[in-house]
Amino acid sequence: MKDPYDTLGVSRTATSDDIRKAYRKLAKKLHPDLNPGNTQAEERFKEVSSANEILSDPEKRKRFDSGEIDASGAERPRQPYYKDYAAGGAGANPYESRSGFSDFAGADDIFAEMFGRQGRQSRNQRGQDLSYTLSVDFLDAINGARKRISLPDGGDLDLMVPAGIEDGKVLRLRGKGAPGSGQGGPGDALVSIAIDPHAFFIRKGDDILLNLPVTIGEAVLGGRVKLPTPSGAVMVTIPKGSNTGSVMRLRGKGAPRGGGHGDQLVTLRVMAPTKSDSALESFLASWTPGSDYDPRKDMLS
Amino acid sequence: MIINRIEFQHRAQIDQQTLDVWLEEQWLLPGETMTDLEFSEIDLARAVFIVDLKDRLGINDEGVGVILHLVDQMHGLRRMLGLIMPAPKAS
Repeated sequence: MKDPYDTLGVSRTATSDDIRKAYRKLAKKLHPDLNPGNTQAEERFKEVSSANEILSDPEKRKRFDSGEIDASGAERPRQPYYKDYAAGGAGANPYESRSGFSDFAGADDIFAEMFGRQGRQSRNQRGQDLSYTLSVDFLDAINGARKRISLPDGGDLDLMVPAGIEDGKVLRLRGKGAPGSGQGGPGDALVSIAIDPHAFFIRKGDDILLNLPVTIGEAVLGGRVKLPTPSGAVMVTIPKGSNTGSVMRLRGKGAPRGGGHGDQLVTLRVMAPTKSDSALESFLASWTPGSDYDPRKDMLS
Repeated sequence: MIINRIEFQHRAQIDQQTLDVWLEEQWLLPGETMTDLEFSEIDLARAVFIVDLKDRLGINDEGVGVILHLVDQMHGLRRMLGLIMPAPKAS
């Protein structure tokens, strides 16, 4: 056990005022609640407090100076420190503040769900709104779907994704946020919708764009082909004489809009066979195109 | 565990007037029923911390408000850091 005078860094002739000042100076630096996570500071604070218990009491100081008591055992037991509660499980600390990182990009979205009750809440205050992000399948966003979000606290949140919802839209679920304090009601859950891209549909406003590969024959001769739409496959007729870049409009096959739907715009892409085709090759070798068949004539005129 | 106002004052060793000021300053945010306040262990530990700040460390009221605000931010930051880093060693 260290000498209490050494611990506080004062001389044996120090006045009670010197001792008080020395103790406060050290305690401000070492108080465990000002140093959560620093166990060394906590140990030092115990020593310093223990030394102060002896030296700040004239009677004890006299007995220590005369060798009647030693430097040990003077520290009174105390309540657990605030930090021991403040670092509790998620949502356990109503005082904890997020203002120290609220300027970080995305901090609201990412951390909102991890904090049960956030920030300082006064008594009778409405609960915080909690933000979530929900990934929605492309087709679910067009057609609408019922979704369930699993919350970090083990609960669930059911919501209806309305048909035709756009990427980035936020759904507000009243009363599904953090509980309020006192008489204040709960906050709302704010669910931000992130729509996953689709393998071949692209959404543009209320319209759906689709690049449709067709064969040379289908483009030149026309024909009926099956193609996908968000509401299922349909048969369409490729007009005779179509080409790469030809656009077909399928009315009402887009995303919901007002009472109706947008359109699906199908852009044709003529695909030559990927494997060598001797019949086609021999035909092309013997074929003499008409004199106006020059796809690059606009470039080189 | 829920602690009522009288027991809280006793355990934190503060008088009613002091507690009223702290509540007014929102240094403490207990729950509230129609007839009483409901304190928890964290409120009690926080009150003991405030007593420490004032009595042991000689901080005045303005200073206590500033310190609590910073400590609350620090705990928020520590939790955030805890979420993205391995847990600290148990102390």
